Amino acid sequence: MPTVTTDAIALSNVLAELAQRQLPCGGWAALASSSQPAIEPTCYAALALGSLPVGDIERAQDFLLRTQNPNGSWPVVPGDDQEGGWVTSLAVIALRDLVPSISARLQGFHWLLNCSGKESNWLWRWKFRTADRHVRFDPDKYGWPWFPDTVSWVVPTAFAILALNQIPCSCGDLERIPVRVDCGIQMLFDRVCPGGGWNAGNGVVYGRPLAPHADDTAIALLALSDRGQDPIVQRAVQYLERVAPTLTATWSLAWAILALAAHRRPIAPLHDSLSALPDLSSTEDTGTLALACLALDYSRALSAFGVTG
Amino acid sequence: MVTAPFLLPKYHSDQRPKRSRVAVLHAQQYSQELDQLLAAGIPLFPINVTGKTVVLKPNLVDYIPGNAINTHPLLVLAAAESFRRLGAKSVLVAEGPGHQRDTQLVLAQSGYEQFLREEKIRFVDLNRDELIRTPLHASYTGMKDLWLPRTVLEADFLVSMPKIKAHHWSGVTLSMKNMFGVVPGARYGWPKNILHWKGIQESILDLCATVPICFVIADGIVAMEGNGPLNGTPRPLGRVVLADDPVAADATCARLMGFDPSRIVHVREGARFLGNAAPGFIDQVAEAVAPPAIPFRVVPEFLNLYTH
Repeated sequence: MPTVTTDAIALSNVLAELAQRQLPCGGWAALASSSQPAIEPTCYAALALGSLPVGDIERAQDFLLRTQNPNGSWPVVPGDDQEGGWVTSLAVIALRDLVPSISARLQGFHWLLNCSGKESNWLWRWKFRTADRHVRFDPDKYGWPWFPDTVSWVVPTAFAILALNQIPCSCGDLERIPVRVDCGIQMLFDRVCPGGGWNAGNGVVYGRPLAPHADDTAIALLALSDRGQDPIVQRAVQYLERVAPTLTATWSLAWAILALAAHRRPIAPLHDSLSALPDLSSTEDTGTLALACLALDYSRALSAFGVTG
Repeated sequence: MVTAPFLLPKYHSDQRPKRSRVAVLHAQQYSQELDQLLAAGIPLFPINVTGKTVVLKPNLVDYIPGNAINTHPLLVLAAAESFRRLGAKSVLVAEGPGHQRDTQLVLAQSGYEQFLREEKIRFVDLNRDELIRTPLHASYTGMKDLWLPRTVLEADFLVSMPKIKAHHWSGVTLSMKNMFGVVPGARYGWPKNILHWKGIQESILDLCATVPICFVIADGIVAMEGNGPLNGTPRPLGRVVLADDPVAADATCARLMGFDPSRIVHVREGARFLGNAAPGFIDQVAEAVAPPAIPFRVVPEFLNLYTH
């Protein structure tokens, strides 16, 4: 039977491995075998290390500040096109405790405000209403795309909501934030799978309901942690509670723990399952490794995501 | 999108072999006997993988119990074993699922994880592999380049291992459409939406022109008809198709499904520069290609694929 001590040992081992994988540039690569830094795993790793005395969080933050695009967004990897993408939300979340990053984060927030799914344009809305109706969704309800010039999807929308919710006020140029966040939330509600929960964002295609995914559902639920009374959210939580004990993959299990903790559901058995996973520290995927750290230390992780569990 | 004679071609070079070879093999079920099937079938082709890095690219999209979505792991294992026996320096399996972000979960649920571990076959998640900006060798989409995974670009011998399926957006998904899986989700998202916006048929052509497929092993033992790639109906076909040319492979698979390959846009256009679709240019070995008594069902938009 795993104990709290076992959890602490698991967390300590995974954190040590994570720290060891930090690249000289300050970032982390997506895979242990790679030396190409990438923004997504770096953001998860920076959140996981936080204020802990392991790794070099300052170098990680410097790396994120250095790699920001001139338009305020972040690239997926350094050297990528400068138009930016979905990892911008993660970067502004990962930099939340850093005073010198205020200006960079503001630029990031502005970029997010100006970025929206292609269906936000009237012409595409008209197309989706009249000629392209095989995927059931309401194009009036749009969120954020993976990267510009494509339509909205669940995960980038949820991350953008989490990021924009971290702004303490919506004054000045940022006054549109509540409207955009609300539109994003409505988009999430619209894209829910008929059986509860979310997948990438296609609830019904060609008249057939599609199945939800645990990780997509969990990320959406994190963004909707203050909407726990909504029946759509409650059904998604029920789905996640049902499926989480069956998960053997670290990524999905870690996200499920974070989401269920955010919705104040019991997670002790899941937490034990995660810390008991064999070879957790040797996980090839560094983003998954960092997420395991976050889930094993979920109170601090939820605070970093701006979620009050 | 068709390259009309009076327009400049949208491809950089004509990569067609003079002749192509396709073998249609009979296999009624997924079993250890697939080892022997491929051990006998692959040597029908004059290929040399000695000392080469072989990358097997199966079709792994998502897992839905009871649905024939993914290339069966036993076929992939049999292929790995065959190429090892033929002297490959290394054989690895690589894929970037297009619907499910948790690749480890798809591997576990679809039965890959256990087999890969037992047989000590390395798996590379192409959604998160190192990225290299790569100029496209055709211009059907209008994109100049794509970020593509290092593992695929550096492979000596890339084997496309599709599941034979009808597809609600592209008509069919075979060895050429299978290349969508090399486009990294970490860069382009889940699903790989940019390819839909730039045109699915066009994207298939640009990808196949840029990342050459050396060999095809298509899983048609239990295929999928109807609303593929996820929610179609399993369709026992009892065939494994091998080919040294992806266009010839897909044209043959289309015929086995009861479709006219010249009505599949990417096969027809691919036959201009990537490979051979016409039977006169294909050396058929093993079984003959016979259309099914009842063609594969498709969504209404693709009823034009039927031969009759």
